[in-house]
Amino acid sequence: MLVFAISDKGGTGRSVTSSNIVYRRALQGQDVCYLDFDFGSPTVGAIFRVSTASRGTTRGGMHRYLQGEITEPSRIDVWTESDRDTIRAKPAGAGQMVLLPGDQGGGEFATFDAEMLKRCVRLFAKLHEQFDLIMVDLSAGRSFAAHLALAATAQLPKIPARWLVFHRWTRQHIIAANGLVKGEHGLLDVGREYGHDPGALTDRIRFVRTAVLELGSGDFAHLRPAQRSWLNEIDRELRELATRNGVGLTTMLGKVPLDPVLQWREQLISDEDVAGTEIANAETVFAFDDLAKKIVDDTAWEGL
Amino acid sequence: MLIMGEVRTGLLQNSAEIEERDHQTVLGLLAGERVRMSRRPIVYAVSPDLLTGVDCRLPSASNARIRGVGTLVSRATITGGRILQGSSYVRVVRGEVNHRLPWSHYLARPGVVEVLGKVSAPDLAGGFLAFGPPGEQLDLGSVSDRFMDVVQESALLDLRAPFRSDRTRLRWVAETGEPGVHFILGESTGRTLRLTHHGEFSPAVVDLCEDLALHDWLLTALLTIVQRARIGGASRPEVSARLAPAVDTLLHLWMPGARIHPSLAPLWENLERTPGFSRQWQSLVERVRDQLAVNTLALLRETNG
Ligand SMILES: Nc1ncnc2c1ncn2[C@@H]1O[C@H](COP(=O)(O)OP(=O)(O)O)[C@@H](O)[C@H]1O
Ligand SMILES: [Mg+2]
Repeated sequence: MLVFAISDKGGTGRSVTSSNIVYRRALQGQDVCYLDFDFGSPTVGAIFRVSTASRGTTRGGMHRYLQGEITEPSRIDVWTESDRDTIRAKPAGAGQMVLLPGDQGGGEFATFDAEMLKRCVRLFAKLHEQFDLIMVDLSAGRSFAAHLALAATAQLPKIPARWLVFHRWTRQHIIAANGLVKGEHGLLDVGREYGHDPGALTDRIRFVRTAVLELGSGDFAHLRPAQRSWLNEIDRELRELATRNGVGLTTMLGKVPLDPVLQWREQLISDEDVAGTEIANAETVFAFDDLAKKIVDDTAWEGL
Repeated sequence: MLIMGEVRTGLLQNSAEIEERDHQTVLGLLAGERVRMSRRPIVYAVSPDLLTGVDCRLPSASNARIRGVGTLVSRATITGGRILQGSSYVRVVRGEVNHRLPWSHYLARPGVVEVLGKVSAPDLAGGFLAFGPPGEQLDLGSVSDRFMDVVQESALLDLRAPFRSDRTRLRWVAETGEPGVHFILGESTGRTLRLTHHGEFSPAVVDLCEDLALHDWLLTALLTIVQRARIGGASRPEVSARLAPAVDTLLHLWMPGARIHPSLAPLWENLERTPGFSRQWQSLVERVRDQLAVNTLALLRETNG
């Protein structure tokens, strides 16, 4: 299955959340890979803590493959090449976890041609042979990468494809997430251009809320009653706004709570970070684990 | 002087074995030429030979700059309606002149690459079998891989293969000499084979390499399935469910040496002694069957009381 991670803005938590979903899916025993299609800022190497690709690879990555400079993009086996001991300790029964990094100094493309599209289609098809889950991290906004992904999936109707739109829980992000899907030159608009049926494509899009503050959680115990009721009111307004914008509960696949570790650093949250050193929250891992199951659970994707 | 080739092997992307009559369409990479089929002891289909022109650096263990010009031969095969192979090879010879000739010269010698300048066979073989980083060099594997991609794109295939699997890569070199084989299983998907045989090179050598690659892939795929089934770790029904694709799709495909020319049969026998493909396969198959039998019995016992 192909899963595309997209967001209207940078800094939403798209890369960190999708990386952690992939990691959880591998722990659940599935073969997974992660493609860096954020050509302007290839950072996933840093999240998986692979120092040889922390700002993209120099050995031939996604960018150079798509341009036809190399015949096969380089692959990184995260279980063996990560610098973190807890990540390298691959548990029995875990699946493959492979990174296809971007190129250092690659840069965004302004457009793509038929040849590039063909290479992209071929790559997706080939990865589908090997991996249960192919996560593609796309550049923020209405990017060339998103166009390429839409064009490629239109040519691969037999490979299941799903889209995750990441957004923060604020007024602006809610409106922007909706715009990215339904607005002018949004996913549905562009998808139609490349031959997608807008109805079918809509069914394949779900939203993920990132870095969400849970009002019921202990973090708010110290608030004065006036502050608490003000926050409750704001949250209620946001929920209404979300529903009006088609970003409400019915189209939401899941949400990830604000986590102190992720607040400070882009990384995978291992079980050791929760149970051992206790620096990360169990709820965060629970949310990633849940998302990792839901992206492949058809009942979470039934037509609305 | 030296023959070198690379075979890539993978699972055809279809939920079921493809029908005999569909092979022509799926393998018909070249319009107008017939796909060759044989039905015994297993359904086997091979595409027409395809030529690719090259003018590039050749691999070299000593990093020497060796330029070769000519054509390489490729073909795609399907075995048992399930396993897809892309195979390319080339015969490297010393050119008579040190400059490039018109293409008609090379086209008259299909499958031959002529070296412009000096070359040593051991240096070439060493460089090729080292699986160096892909670059501007002759890349037989990616040509083989491309033909597999084209086959997998066939509209007849539903892209719902019974399990996920990796393509393996077997690089081989063959020379004339006292018969012998040396197979090395690499770290990930790479394998190498050095082979010496009596007499002149013939396509039967390529058949042998493809047959070996096929059985190595089967073994690799079955090993992965068994490892991932977590026998003893997961619940019995889970283990059985994970082993099922192996039984349904792989077990009956094991037929080492089935299409090998009798003159090369001793080489297969060598490989059966070390590393002993069939021994390992047999013990894995028994493990799978035992697991399924035990799990079924346990389930029956539960349902009966
Ligand atoms: N659940 C979370 N809690 C706290 N901070 C988060 C969370 N998810 C992501 N972040 C942080 O937000 C920032 C942006 O995340 P990133 O994944 O790089 O965004 P994007 O890929 O959308 O640009 C990073 O510093 C990241 O660590
Ligand atoms: Mg990012």
